Amino acid sequence: MARINDVGGMQGFGAVDTTDDTEPFHADWEARVVGLFNALRAQGLFNTNEFRDAIESIPPARYLTTSYYERWFIAICALLERKGVLAPGELDGAVGAVGPDGLARPGGSAGLGQPGGPDA
Amino acid sequence: MPDRFAPGDLVRTYLHDPPHHTRLPRYARGKRGVVVEAEGGAQLADVSAQGRDDAPVEQVYAVRFAARDLWGEGDHHVVLDLWESYLEEDPEDER
Amino acid sequence: MSGDHHDDALISRRVRRLETLLEEKGVLSGGALDEVIDAFLSGASPANGARVVARAWTDPAFRSRLLADGTAAVRELGFMDGSYQRLRVVENTETLHNVIVCTLCSCYPLRLLGPSPSWYKSESYRSRVVREPRAVLAEFGLGLPADTEISVWDSSAETRYMVLPRRPAGTESLDETELAALVTRNALIGTAAV
Repeated sequence: MARINDVGGMQGFGAVDTTDDTEPFHADWEARVVGLFNALRAQGLFNTNEFRDAIESIPPARYLTTSYYERWFIAICALLERKGVLAPGELDGAVGAVGPDGLARPGGSAGLGQPGGPDA
Repeated sequence: MPDRFAPGDLVRTYLHDPPHHTRLPRYARGKRGVVVEAEGGAQLADVSAQGRDDAPVEQVYAVRFAARDLWGEGDHHVVLDLWESYLEEDPEDER
Repeated sequence: MSGDHHDDALISRRVRRLETLLEEKGVLSGGALDEVIDAFLSGASPANGARVVARAWTDPAFRSRLLADGTAAVRELGFMDGSYQRLRVVENTETLHNVIVCTLCSCYPLRLLGPSPSWYKSESYRSRVVREPRAVLAEFGLGLPADTEISVWDSSAETRYMVLPRRPAGTESLDETELAALVTRNALIGTAAV
């Protein structure tokens, strides 16, 4: 079945914002996420296709409301849980009101130990 | 193994709709196209995405589609890079 | 870009926390990420692609090699060494215009073009350029004659595409360095002319 990343020919995304941004990253954490991806992939923890699969598996409503590198972070967290490097919910402990995939739930609470991740 | 397709061959993409990762976009499923060139072998992404290291290596082809065959209209072309197992001969071709 | 409502500071803390956890577990070593980030950015620039184009404009034999085997030709200039990816250069002509996209994710010739612009990764661009390229190119200010053919290259495997733009008229007296300075990132993607 087609996934939310498969947008070729889909209507409704509006005009292209053609702003020619030359900065590769808009915040330092985006660079860190790219670094995490490259370092973990280089170690053989996952391959590029698994990583793409994890991004594509983000539920559509979520995918469309997260930024490009937020999706990367969600995917990395999901893969680390799938590979047993992180226990489910392990990342939540020290950081407060966030979901099991590493992102803030406005007004929500963390749900320590909840099953989850984008592919759950 | 020799390539199954050669440049200029008329092909059709499979109308497959797998529940897993694939690199055949939905807009190009079950569509007829023309092989532009072979690109070289690559591990089949559908299998590799499952974390398996036994993904078969297949030839990948650049395949050119007319917009009217994809969308029913338009005068441009779209080229996709498609694994051999995404493609079959198109014997019914009327072009 | 979507998702601006998320708290940057909170995500930043999450990312740092993950780094710390991975270091504690011995999965990452301290400083490893900085090296990887530096390596990711070093040497990846649209100036590389521009240099390739300027060489192709001034050296017909190189141009032929570039169009026949992009990977090998750019390696002559020291680019893409050690990459497992294949480079295919597609040439604009009087009658054909090429434009690059990745509808499924964001595949892009990073080493030759540098990090991709946000619009290249946007749903708007990815969804529409395969369906209505003329309208999308017009949004970039690129109007093409009605009889110009358009080929959209949707990178879906291990080949990365780069456009060889047309050399503008009146540039006969420019040398290779001056020519390279004319070539923009968008021209290498196909959303601009030179």
